[in-house]
Amino acid sequence: MRGAVNRMKMLAGGAAMAAFVFAATPSHALDITKMTLSNGATLLVSEQHQLPMVTVMVEFDAGTRRDPKGKEGLAELTARCLSQGTKELTAPEFDQKVDFMGSEVGVATERDYSTAGMTTLTKYQDDTLKLLAGILTEPGLRDADIERKRAEQVAEIKAAEEQPGYTADVEFVKDLFGDSPYGHPGAGYSDSVAKISDDDVRGFYHDHYKLGGAIIAVAGDVKADEVKVSLEKELAGLTGTVAPQAEPPPIAVPPGLHVKLIDRDVAQANIIMGSGGVARSNPDFYRLKVMNYILGGGGFSSRLVKIVRSEHGLAYSVDSGFEPGKFQGAFTIGLQTKNQSSNQAIDLILQQIREIQEKPVSDAELDGAKKYLVGSFPLNIERQSAIASFMIQVEFYGLGLDYADQYPKLIGSVTKDEVLAVAKKYLHPDAMIVVAVANQSDAKIKTAQMEKAADGASAQ
Amino acid sequence: MRITIFGNHRRLVSTAALGTLLCIAAAAPVRAGMADAVKAQTLPNGLHVLVLENHKAPLATFNVFYRVGSRNEQFGKTGLSHLCEHLMFKGTKKLGPEEFSQIIQQHGGEDNAFTEEDFTDYFETINKDHLDVPITLEADRMANFEPKDFDKEKHVVLEERRLRTDDNPEDALDEMVRAQAFVAHPYHWPVIGWFHDVDGLTLADAMAYHKIYYSPQNALIVAVGDFNGDQVLKEISEAFGGIKNGAKPPAVTEVEPAQEGTRHVEMQHAANLPAFEEGYHVPNLASADSFPLEIASEILSDGQSSRLYKKLVVEKQMVVDIGAGYDMTTFDPNLFVVSAQMRPGVTAAATEAEVEKEIAAMRDTPVGEEELQKAKNLEQAQFVFGQDSVMREAEMLGVYQMLGDYHLVDKYIDGIDKVTAADVQRVMKTYLVASNMTEGVLVPTGVLPHGGEGISSGELR
Repeated sequence: MRGAVNRMKMLAGGAAMAAFVFAATPSHALDITKMTLSNGATLLVSEQHQLPMVTVMVEFDAGTRRDPKGKEGLAELTARCLSQGTKELTAPEFDQKVDFMGSEVGVATERDYSTAGMTTLTKYQDDTLKLLAGILTEPGLRDADIERKRAEQVAEIKAAEEQPGYTADVEFVKDLFGDSPYGHPGAGYSDSVAKISDDDVRGFYHDHYKLGGAIIAVAGDVKADEVKVSLEKELAGLTGTVAPQAEPPPIAVPPGLHVKLIDRDVAQANIIMGSGGVARSNPDFYRLKVMNYILGGGGFSSRLVKIVRSEHGLAYSVDSGFEPGKFQGAFTIGLQTKNQSSNQAIDLILQQIREIQEKPVSDAELDGAKKYLVGSFPLNIERQSAIASFMIQVEFYGLGLDYADQYPKLIGSVTKDEVLAVAKKYLHPDAMIVVAVANQSDAKIKTAQMEKAADGASAQ
Repeated sequence: MRITIFGNHRRLVSTAALGTLLCIAAAAPVRAGMADAVKAQTLPNGLHVLVLENHKAPLATFNVFYRVGSRNEQFGKTGLSHLCEHLMFKGTKKLGPEEFSQIIQQHGGEDNAFTEEDFTDYFETINKDHLDVPITLEADRMANFEPKDFDKEKHVVLEERRLRTDDNPEDALDEMVRAQAFVAHPYHWPVIGWFHDVDGLTLADAMAYHKIYYSPQNALIVAVGDFNGDQVLKEISEAFGGIKNGAKPPAVTEVEPAQEGTRHVEMQHAANLPAFEEGYHVPNLASADSFPLEIASEILSDGQSSRLYKKLVVEKQMVVDIGAGYDMTTFDPNLFVVSAQMRPGVTAAATEAEVEKEIAAMRDTPVGEEELQKAKNLEQAQFVFGQDSVMREAEMLGVYQMLGDYHLVDKYIDGIDKVTAADVQRVMKTYLVASNMTEGVLVPTGVLPHGGEGISSGELR
């Protein structure tokens, strides 16, 4: 195999990418059957009989937004510990059974929820489902396994911090969201994870892995009514609901560009800048989708790529995006450029933000954005895992089972005036958080204090 | 090593846990008997075309492979294949820079390209009703290459190198290990090229390179999707049939001499954790040893029940992550790689000693029947899972055709099934030995910890 990695991690990675799926749009409906289990869980099934395989994803209200203050990383650690066997099976016994079938079983966290998932050949669906149900209803959660996964997570965080982009993101998220549920990296910090006790993990499982109000999505070679019977049998015991979480106050970045400069021996400055965005339920979502595509979300069709990459050759990657969630998310622009180009790149970006706030976009830009957003939908629900995560998002964010049919209309009705209005309302070139991990002596990022100091020096 | 024209979008860390460690995809082989369903044609100008109907979803993928990669480059001009890939997006006699991608996007499609050691693949995935659009555009850039903004694009590529390699400890280490393992063969240099080489490339270099390698006789088209195969063959033939060939590309003749003794390389880099990478010279698909090597890599590191994971991650708890990788589909013999990133406080030397114990156990004792069967079951399952994407099907057909025959796809599972415990032991004894190993160790010089010194705050202008 090219690029050998542990398969569990691939599965986790697949699930972690899920939030991207609803960025795209349907052009044809997906047949979804909706049912309810006796414990209150919503079951969504999309029958896909072309291949002898099945994908199941179970959503729990156990995302990283549920992390307690000081114990950031608890949701992620709990998810990792859950796949370490059951009361009956030790972790190695569990792994042996999963691998012998060639199946994939794992639990992954996102900001808003966690997903326990499996992918298996149809012929092993019953046995694999039993294993998945086992770790959800009777997880082992043994002291030794928790200890190992905790140390592993701390080490992985230290490894991630080697990536300048990861460090920039962490600092940005802290500064923008502060104490709110989104204000920390999903994996936590090395010191906060180290402080999580075995009982914290068992308590988090106990409080958050409940199926009343949860969503189960199945895509694959199954019959909807038959899979309902199996799930009822295996998962009915997971009853109860999770207490709702209070919505955090709106994000308010005070006027000014608040810069955090992190000095590191790197060849490139890693810059992220942004402000408060929207929640997924915000009715401006679709207008923002179109506006952002034109500004920096649309690859080679976007203004930021055209200006910063193509015209000035300053970056390989530059983009902008909203990350709407259950709560208000962030708006960010990110790029990497050689240290010495930092100021020039920041200037070009600020100029582009102002431009899209001042002048209406062109007819061609509006038309191109709509055609891409509407037309590219089927590309994003091709694979079973993508279909399953799509169904979970549709249900979690209350988009409606006919979302696939509605989306073209929601995008299609956006006007140039609306694009201009949302650019004015949601972009704040004069009030943003800016984080730069760079070799600061080369980057020489100009801050107000430095300019003042420089002015003072030249006046004397 | 695969380098793309356009990077993935970022996600904030609050939404994706530890993305850098979690998101790597392996290309699994494709559906059994699929080669029989392929329609193949060779146009009079030598262009090979494969089309395969797949009615799973209302979309289609269109791939143009060129048999050119870093393997075809010369000392002093490394990175030319990858730069050429970038320039393919910078315009033709008819189109301006990036117009190619913009037109695809306006039709609801996505396009990208990647360069490897052996080949370059340009691909579009698009609604089945718009397949004519990539067909027309790809024919245009094969015939009418005329890139603009050369210097700007070169700077973009240099930024890409800083991002992927220079500021990425594991990639930087991999580059050094390969440069040490290959002395004579072009696998010696990285796909993206050495920084100074790339900086010195000229538009004339790229134009000459395109003329030699971007001809119909050196290309392969693979289309997979929800369409009528005969109709698509006809459209492709009309669009590409008139494109003329230049001189035949020169063959790559370098052969890597046998390695006689362990080679060591050390790299100091801004990092928190030590890491190592071991590369062993191994044969490719042309050898009967390729399938046993594939099984060996499965047994060593596929799944949490694999030997290296169980020993190093679970039992000894020495590493953050460990993996063994083998790709039998490289054009020339390449490396079987074992790599790991250590936990804090653990040395690479101690970990490598444990890894060697595991490798030695597989040299000394045949693997058990159940373990062998588990590896085969994993391969079979991944074979099916891999068919869940038209893009992956197209890529595998393309790779096997470039290796000689797309029918080889159908023989994959057979080859895996026939592997015996004695075969695995034989290849371990032959190839996974110290004298055939190049070992690279990353010595971390540290990065500033979060919240620590070196952070300053202020207001931007």
